[in-house]
Amino acid sequence: MTDVPLTAPGAAATATRRRLNPTLSRYLSAFRTPRGVIGLSILGIMVLAALLAPVLFPGGYDQQGSNALTGPSAQHIFGVDEFGRDIFIRSVYGLRVDLSLILTAVPLSMAVGTLIGLAGAISEWLGAGLQRVLDVVIGFPGLILGICLVAILGPGWFPLFLTILIGGLPTAGRLARGAWLTQQGREYVLAARVLGVPPRKLLVRHVLPNAMDAIVVNGAVWMVIGVYIEAGLSIVGLGVQPPTPSIGVLLNNGLRFVTQAPTYIIGPGVVLLLLSVGFSLISDALNEAVNRR
Amino acid sequence: MIRFMARKAPSVLFVLLASSVVAFALPRLAPGDVAVSLAGTDPSAANVAAIRKELGLDRSPVVQYWDWISGLLHGDLGQSYRLHRSVTSLIGDRLGSTVELAVFATLLVLVMGTALGVLAGSTKRRWTRATLDLGNSLLVATPAFLTALALILIFGVYHRWLPVSGEVSLLENPSIGIQYLILPAFALALSPSGIVARLLQTEMTKVRNEDYVDLALAKGTSSRQITLRHVLRNSFGTAVVAIGLEIGTLLAGAVITESIFNRNGLGQLAVSSVQSRDFTVLQVLILGVVFVAVICQIVTEMVLATLDPRIRLGAQT
Repeated sequence: MTDVPLTAPGAAATATRRRLNPTLSRYLSAFRTPRGVIGLSILGIMVLAALLAPVLFPGGYDQQGSNALTGPSAQHIFGVDEFGRDIFIRSVYGLRVDLSLILTAVPLSMAVGTLIGLAGAISEWLGAGLQRVLDVVIGFPGLILGICLVAILGPGWFPLFLTILIGGLPTAGRLARGAWLTQQGREYVLAARVLGVPPRKLLVRHVLPNAMDAIVVNGAVWMVIGVYIEAGLSIVGLGVQPPTPSIGVLLNNGLRFVTQAPTYIIGPGVVLLLLSVGFSLISDALNEAVNRR
Repeated sequence: MIRFMARKAPSVLFVLLASSVVAFALPRLAPGDVAVSLAGTDPSAANVAAIRKELGLDRSPVVQYWDWISGLLHGDLGQSYRLHRSVTSLIGDRLGSTVELAVFATLLVLVMGTALGVLAGSTKRRWTRATLDLGNSLLVATPAFLTALALILIFGVYHRWLPVSGEVSLLENPSIGIQYLILPAFALALSPSGIVARLLQTEMTKVRNEDYVDLALAKGTSSRQITLRHVLRNSFGTAVVAIGLEIGTLLAGAVITESIFNRNGLGQLAVSSVQSRDFTVLQVLILGVVFVAVICQIVTEMVLATLDPRIRLGAQT
């Protein structure tokens, strides 16, 4: 795990630079594999398009044209919707909602889940108790959890955010707790404790690295699921509310006109697929990078 | 087995109890006063107080919870404030539709998952296996709603082969009913069958390396016999477990699938009761889903435990 290099003094400088953050460099190596590169470029383009949407399409997502429900053409590559709005522009603006949800909720979820999992270090009772609470969360499939939260808060961005956040807690919590339970009894941890290493440092230096890889990969997987939770809830009308577009909202609208304009759902559907493929490729690449050593 | 169940019982009961508390708390966490919104055009203090008393909202939460849960256990699911009907009749009307869909989809998962798994787990041709692996990954990665959209486009819009919206009860008219059922059931079943197939394939590859397979081979047993009698039989437990664990996901997916295909089932009821904030209906539905998911999980664990004594006697996590 933490290999202390027994090198000559001369090599120390390069060694420290290399060792600066071995975990991080291992994760970064994932993005040098073909999968990682493709996944990262798909997502990179999407994030860029989402960020630059107001610059690229200053007209906003509500600009109406004269036609309605026409198929793809040179001006409107995804076609136009029932109000004559360009579906491509709406998809790009929709990405803002999806990406803002996933890129905030998932990292937060993994972090909070890890903290919950490590709570056993404060008191064994607290750790076990929190684990039982997470067991209850597992009992609620993602969409059912979403339905509960929408029922309480009303539809919108925030309940989606909470659904993705809470739904991801159990796995991260279990992984972190697993690491805590297995490492706690190991000699080197005991030795460190006897030497007076403070508990926080003990966790960060000795326990967490054992769970970190799994949690990071799990986070990437959860991003794919997050995309699906947004789309799934929005498709049944429980997500972000129109006129704000999200990928799921566009699919919901497209579904209503599927017989008149079958091409309506294809554009947003492809964007959704690309989004989930991008995250999947990255999670695969991370998984590979983590298991390579 | 009894000891195994006795050990499992506390945590199962705790999950059920906790989810019932969550379901109970739902309307109380929501902003706004149910009594005020029901009073509608006459929100005078006296009227609101009367409604509150009628619904029992003036008593302590603990008493309310007790009343609610003992009502549930006695089969009294309560009354929908919005639709002015008993929850039992609302659910009863739609249960059939969801059961049809869930049962048909589960059968599909069983058949397709096993078939794909056995194919992928027993082929020796590299390209066949690669193709099957790729197809499998696609199945696993595509969620029910996306499959549903693709199926609608292909079989309902471009080729008008099957109806994409509405339903006919199988009991009333089997030949028409099945047409309405095919697309939603496939949409629901494809992804779980990919998961089942993948697990079965992995297990079969593992079992294939066992000594008794070598022995059978040495005895001159045909490869077909080996696959069916030795490998599949010993890997089938995994498939059963995988299917059991997928049922919860399947039910949650049914909510969306029903909505997409305009089927008037429980999922649709759940969505409409969220939209109209009809909490008495929603509470029962949510508790029902969690209950079914938990039951499936226990049954699965019991099957696993029967198959593998290490789990039955094994250490607790």
